Amino acid sequence: MAASDAEPMPEVVTEAIVVIDLVESTLTSNLFGWYAVGRHSLRDLRSLIGEVGRSRGLRCMRSTGDGYLLTFYDPQSAEMAAIRAVEAVFELLRRILTRNQEVSEERALNLRCAVHLGEVDVVPNDREGPHVSMAFRLEEISRASLPTALNPIPPEQFPLQNYVLCSEEVAGILSRRTKQWGVASIGLLRLKGFPGWREVFRVTSEEHPTDIGGGMLVS
Amino acid sequence: MQAPASLRKPLAIVFCDIAGSTHLTAQEGDLVASGVFREFFEHAGRLSREHHGLIIKFIADSFLATFENIDDVMPFVISIKSLLSRNSTFVGRFSGLYFSLHYGNVTCIETSYGSDVLGEAVNVAVYLNELKVLNEIIISQAALERMPSDYRTRAGASESRSFKGVGEVEFRRLKLRGL
Repeated sequence: MAASDAEPMPEVVTEAIVVIDLVESTLTSNLFGWYAVGRHSLRDLRSLIGEVGRSRGLRCMRSTGDGYLLTFYDPQSAEMAAIRAVEAVFELLRRILTRNQEVSEERALNLRCAVHLGEVDVVPNDREGPHVSMAFRLEEISRASLPTALNPIPPEQFPLQNYVLCSEEVAGILSRRTKQWGVASIGLLRLKGFPGWREVFRVTSEEHPTDIGGGMLVS
Repeated sequence: MQAPASLRKPLAIVFCDIAGSTHLTAQEGDLVASGVFREFFEHAGRLSREHHGLIIKFIADSFLATFENIDDVMPFVISIKSLLSRNSTFVGRFSGLYFSLHYGNVTCIETSYGSDVLGEAVNVAVYLNELKVLNEIIISQAALERMPSDYRTRAGASESRSFKGVGEVEFRRLKLRGL
């Protein structure tokens, strides 16, 4: 009998899955030192995520080394979990912009964020399943992905940092249920391990048309 | 920054997906697989030029090509298919090819990474490819109407499918065997 056979099957829930990656965190740590800069940056990020997520249904927060995997849950409506997640991510970006203006350049935080919604296996302080992989695939998309996309936006229009990408599922929810954010297709992409073509969207904040979520540099 | 120059025009859009690429990578490793793909794409590029077409991009194990004259498409498709049975590098390595063809208006642009085509017509060609059956070409009705009569008579029954963001698309299947 396999070891996994003895364990109960994990609970399955629909959650909004957010992957946050700290841009150039390894480079920064190598240049300025993990103990001098790197660990403080990650601790600050963790603290800010806690602040913005706590009241918005943040249920899981797991380190990925240079970022975090987060999930958001809403007991009434899975779609609301996606909206809360996007809300939390934009609030996080806003707070980071403020923080970056107050700290030295090497301690600035810059992020890449991706949001997806789907069923996940709940394991202690972690989540498993293909939808988690999908969120990571979305986060990996960069300017360099666009030449292999269909109907892509010009690479120059794709921000280098401090932006939010989302799946078709989340884009649909945002379009239907809120006017607070805009969604714009960046093209059809093939995501490793997933069949077919996926339309990927960038979420922009209409409250702050030239804000960090729109991809401005925040040095 | 000045927007790149663009030109909107009708083109025949071909999408081709290689079947068996995952198996090839699993069996022979990614180094061998990437060499095989590179050679396949070199041949595809050469054949597209010979048939007055343009390969817009190679994407993993597939490619997107355009043709000004739709009459050039089938000779190109047949020549690509022949590669699999005639070129020793490819014999036994790929299971086959999935083709799709659509005709429509696209915007042609020059980008920092080369030429690209944009527009709903591109999506139609790609979505049709997802209805794939090995060694068939799936042809939209818009494309078929412009093709030589020989192909129109060989094409199968009319089918239609609704695609997200595009709507209903009418198409037919044409078997490549015997062409």
